[in-house]
Amino acid sequence: MPAAKVLAFLVALLFPLHALAGANRDRGQDEVGPGPDEGPSYFGVVLDAVGKPVDDARVTATHRDGLAMVTRSNAAGAYKLPGFNKKFNSDDVKISCAKPGYRQMRVFRHPPPRTGPVRAVETECRLQKS
Amino acid sequence: MPAAKVLAIAALAAAYGASWAQGTVLRYGQALSAQKSIYSLPVTLAEREGLFRREGIDFRVVIPVPGGADRMIAALHDDTVDLTHVATPFLVRAAIAGSDAVAIAAEFNDPIYSLVARPEIARIADLKGRVVALADPGGSITYSMRKLLALHGVRESDLQVKTIDGTPARLNCLRRGGCDAVPLGQPQDLVAQAEGYRLLGVSNDAVPAHLYTVTAARRSWAAANPDLVVRYVRALSAAFATIHDPAKRGAVVAAIVDITSVPPAIAEQALELYSRPGRKVLPSRGEIDVKGLERVIAFMGEAGQLEGPLPEAGRFVDLTYLRRAGIQ
Repeated sequence: MPAAKVLAFLVALLFPLHALAGANRDRGQDEVGPGPDEGPSYFGVVLDAVGKPVDDARVTATHRDGLAMVTRSNAAGAYKLPGFNKKFNSDDVKISCAKPGYRQMRVFRHPPPRTGPVRAVETECRLQKS
Repeated sequence: MPAAKVLAIAALAAAYGASWAQGTVLRYGQALSAQKSIYSLPVTLAEREGLFRREGIDFRVVIPVPGGADRMIAALHDDTVDLTHVATPFLVRAAIAGSDAVAIAAEFNDPIYSLVARPEIARIADLKGRVVALADPGGSITYSMRKLLALHGVRESDLQVKTIDGTPARLNCLRRGGCDAVPLGQPQDLVAQAEGYRLLGVSNDAVPAHLYTVTAARRSWAAANPDLVVRYVRALSAAFATIHDPAKRGAVVAAIVDITSVPPAIAEQALELYSRPGRKVLPSRGEIDVKGLERVIAFMGEAGQLEGPLPEAGRFVDLTYLRRAGIQ
């Protein structure tokens, strides 16, 4: 693909049409929050071997039946994923992280609160340069 | 043959058998909003009925976050997924911008979007000054709603417009009082009417039949994996055969209930709506209506989303795999 086309493609992805929409448009994020059927969300950080944040790592939450959600960590190494359907047990969801040039060392899952329902699952994913 | 050789061959055969039993992994991208909507019915049914397994495919649904229709082709390019569900305007836009993504099978034709309002709003003309949630401004849902509003003398600038992706989220907005009217697909439009909200009109009153959603792949990836793509297309085609088979209605209703969490009676109503004479919401076997894609391109041209002469629809489609599967 010629460089100009690649650039145009990336620009199109970065600035979708809704960014150019009319002034009477408002992205209604408030209504997009957790739906009534949504289970606990997943959040946490991706760190390297010495505890520095790793940005742009791919973080995947995979349910044991194969359904997966994928996002990328930000500059602080943080990530957040919405919940699967509430009928899914969060214990059946595995978090993993990956980035070219790194290999996953371990994933630490913070224990859930002892009382009340689990609303979010926090993990720390460690990567090591390979 | 020496015993060691026999053992080695047996081990290889066992490994091959196990790998076939597990199947070839195929990562399919789906927007979070689509995953909870009836638009995921064909692939969900194919999974539930074991149609992918029958083709030796270990089918995995992957939801990119943040998602939305405008992110699905990007997920093909950053190797998050191999195939993706996508609404056609987003495929066309990405291809014009340089992507080699093409449609390899149809998932939904001519959709039915209902404009549903709070009970006290009787007519579309009464929406002036009200809060209306539309979908992505670059998509065909919003295009069809603009045309429907215009039929009743209402322009988008007459409204307070919010952009909310996905029928479930738009229904939430209506229920929570944040929106006065929203376009809803099935079966949530039927749920809303059962709850007392008012149907003001449907998209089909304003726009002709068009190709709504497809499975897309990068042309280069599909060319490197032709057998896998043909097997996917065959499984998808078998899912459509199941949907159209009156004897399998129970399984289809159960899948809709599972996806959308509506009561079975509402799921039945949605299926009945799709099977009415003249409605062509679902393809017969996944075949691509190239003329339906031409209409989408015409919509995009009319909406000012495409510059210059309109591109030919064939550029955005690769019929190789449907043909190899004997479908088109």
